[in-house]
Parts: sequence; C-alpha cells; structure tokens
Amino acid sequence: MKYKDYYAILGLERGASEDAIKKAYRRLARKYHPDVSKEAGAEEKFKEVAEAYQTLKDADKRKAYDQLGQQQPGQEFEPPPDWRAQWEPSAGDAFSSEGLDLSDLLDRLRGGSGRGGTRGARRSMPGQDYEIAVPITIEDAYNGTEIDLDLNMPEYDPQGQLRRVPHAFKARIPKGASDGQRLRVPGKGGKGFNGGRNGDLYLNISLRPHALYRASGHDLYLDLPLAPWEAVLGTSVEVPTPGGVVRLKVPAATQAGQQLRLPRRGLPTPKGEPGNLYAVVLIVVPTVVNEAEQALYRQLQTTSAFQPRAHFSEEDSHAS
Amino acid sequence: MRVELTEMLWFEEHAVSLSELCELTGLSPATLEELVSTGAIEPIDAASPEPRFGAVALTAARHARRLREDFDLDTEALPLVLGLFERIEALEQQLVALRARLPGRLR
Repeated sequence: MKYKDYYAILGLERGASEDAIKKAYRRLARKYHPDVSKEAGAEEKFKEVAEAYQTLKDADKRKAYDQLGQQQPGQEFEPPPDWRAQWEPSAGDAFSSEGLDLSDLLDRLRGGSGRGGTRGARRSMPGQDYEIAVPITIEDAYNGTEIDLDLNMPEYDPQGQLRRVPHAFKARIPKGASDGQRLRVPGKGGKGFNGGRNGDLYLNISLRPHALYRASGHDLYLDLPLAPWEAVLGTSVEVPTPGGVVRLKVPAATQAGQQLRLPRRGLPTPKGEPGNLYAVVLIVVPTVVNEAEQALYRQLQTTSAFQPRAHFSEEDSHAS
Repeated sequence: MRVELTEMLWFEEHAVSLSELCELTGLSPATLEELVSTGAIEPIDAASPEPRFGAVALTAARHARRLREDFDLDTEALPLVLGLFERIEALEQQLVALRARLPGRLR
C-alpha cells in the first residue's frame, strides 16, 4: 500500500497537539469542503484532509500510525511484522494488505473507533453510500443515455474486514434529466455486512455546456441571429433543436432580445410536458459592405423617419 | 468484476417515511425531528400523522449529516446553515436561468 503523510496533509509537525490537529482540520475543511468550496479539485483535497483527521484525532490510530514510521508520501510499503503483531494479532499469517489502503488498514485496528473496531462482535453494518457527479451532454439528456461506472468501493469481506472491491457496471440514465437533478440507485452502493442493508448510489447529473443551447430546467435557449432586414420584414428560418431542424416563422418588426417560443422543443421531462425551446433574437450587421449595399443603406437613411432614441429627449425621461 | 445494466430511478418519485429517512441518512430520529420541527426539512404532506419525505428532504437530510460530521455542527446550528445553503442554491438557480436568457454574445 502507499504511504500517506497525514501530518503534512494537515500542514502540521509530527508532535502537534490534539488542539492543533483540530484547528488545522477545521481551517482546511472550511477551505476545501465540497459544500462550501468552488475550487477545482476541492473534493479530492477534502477527502485527503478528512482521512488525515480521522486518523490523527483518534489517539490509538494516531499511535499506530506514528509507529509505522515516516516515509515518503506515495511510497509503497508493508507494515512490519512486529507492528502487525502489536496491532493486528488476530490477523496472524492470514494478513494480506491486498486491496487495502492505509486508512482501511487503520480502520481495522483493534480498539480503533472505525467500523473495523467492532469486528468480532458480528454486528450487522450498513454498506457505504456513494455519491458521484455525472456530467452529460444536452443530447444525452434529450435521448437518454448509458454510462459506464467504474467504482472502487470499500466492502466488508466475510470476516467483516473492509476491502476495496472494483465494481464496473453500466447505468441507464432515462431521458428527461436536467441540470442538478439527482438519481438514487437503491442498493448499488457498498455491500452491507452480516445482514446490514446495502448502501445506495447517488448520481448528481450536470449538463455540460453546449455550443448552441443553454438549459434552464427543461427549457432550452438558443441565440437566433437575424439580419436587420429579416428583423424588419419578417422571415422564416430553419432552427436546430435537439430533436431535429424545425422551421420558425419570425414575425415582421421583431426586436433584439425578443424570445420566440418553440413549444415542447426543449428537454423532455420524466413524466409530463417537455420544456420549450426559446430562440433569443440577436440583430447582427455585416462588417463589410460593398458600394451597392452602402448606397442602399444611405437611401434608407434619408428615406426612413424611424427615431430609435426618441425617448432620450422626452421631458419625463428622468422620472421613469 | 460484474458487468450489468442498471435501471436508474428518479429520485423525485420516491417518498420515504421518517424511519426510512433515518436509515438512509444515518441521522438519529431525535435530530431529524428537530430539523423537521424547525422547518429545515419539510415533509411532502405536513398534515399527515405519518409524514412522507421526498427528494428535497432526502437531499437536505444527507447534507445535514455531512455538515454535522465534517464541521462538528450541533443540532441547533444545523437548521440555520441548511437554510443559508437553500438560499444560495435558489440564487444560483436564478442566475443559471437569467444567464440562459441572455444572448451568448453579450455575456
């Protein structure tokens, strides 16, 4: 198994007091806890910090950990036989660290306060819950999708010892997922021990940013750029939707920022009405115009009575 | 290694009882009752003698358990913290909704 330097993770000297350990943990939890931190990689960092704190706050575990000696973080090592004789006498020759990491090992110690500490009592223990983030595309949310999950779950073996067991399975995400939605998969977390219920798997769905669509719940928004004459005269345009291209009628005198609704063309919902797709009008102008076009714009300039800023000069423009 | 296809269940469709909520979250009945009485966790059918809890309550209760364990929060502080998280989440949702309505080039 790989060595982890729990003191270094908490930014502490090896002789740190209990109080200093608690303070260091609180400070880092405040910084990296996934519920309060938006930093990239915060969750992984918090797991390390929590694991270090779980070991160092428990006097027995800390003592056992200290007796393993200090090594380079990440270095492969095996607990020496005399350490095992002291801390794990019942494991005897059957001891194997295969599938264990350092925190699992310390959890199994006699007298430890972890789940492993109750071993021998043959108590039933519930399996662990798992929560994972599942980013999917808008197309996946529209059509439904299958995802491959590769989880490394701690599970109890028949002796009540924690082991890490790889689980690979496919999960079907039904169509109608939306950003922030959660799925619970009962019984698909870690296995329970001795009659304890299996843990659950929680999937937190998020939608990846899309080149065309922006999602709000089950509604989708799409930018619809129009040329000035299209906006003035009205037109009919082809608009992409997740379900295929549809034709949209743009009425005459359409303004920038106006939203043209395409009913039921948004994301489906698990039950009931699908969301809508809104085309948000942008009026765009050409950056390069030839002489003939310039002449036409000038003609329009002299002919038109349109006053786009008439309200600037109104008496009460300050009042409203 | 097992390979199997699992059908997902929409979280929203499953209502659970108070005792199931305890089992699913690892919170004690006393703590959960405290959270319900302060309104931090709300049942779907508050008037019922056997209240049922939906996805929102399950999420909040799991959140409460995590916060209490990771920050050593006491039961009195939990409803306040949960309430603030709820507000932040509502504001973030509003922000997503408003951003979706803004033309892409203007953001």
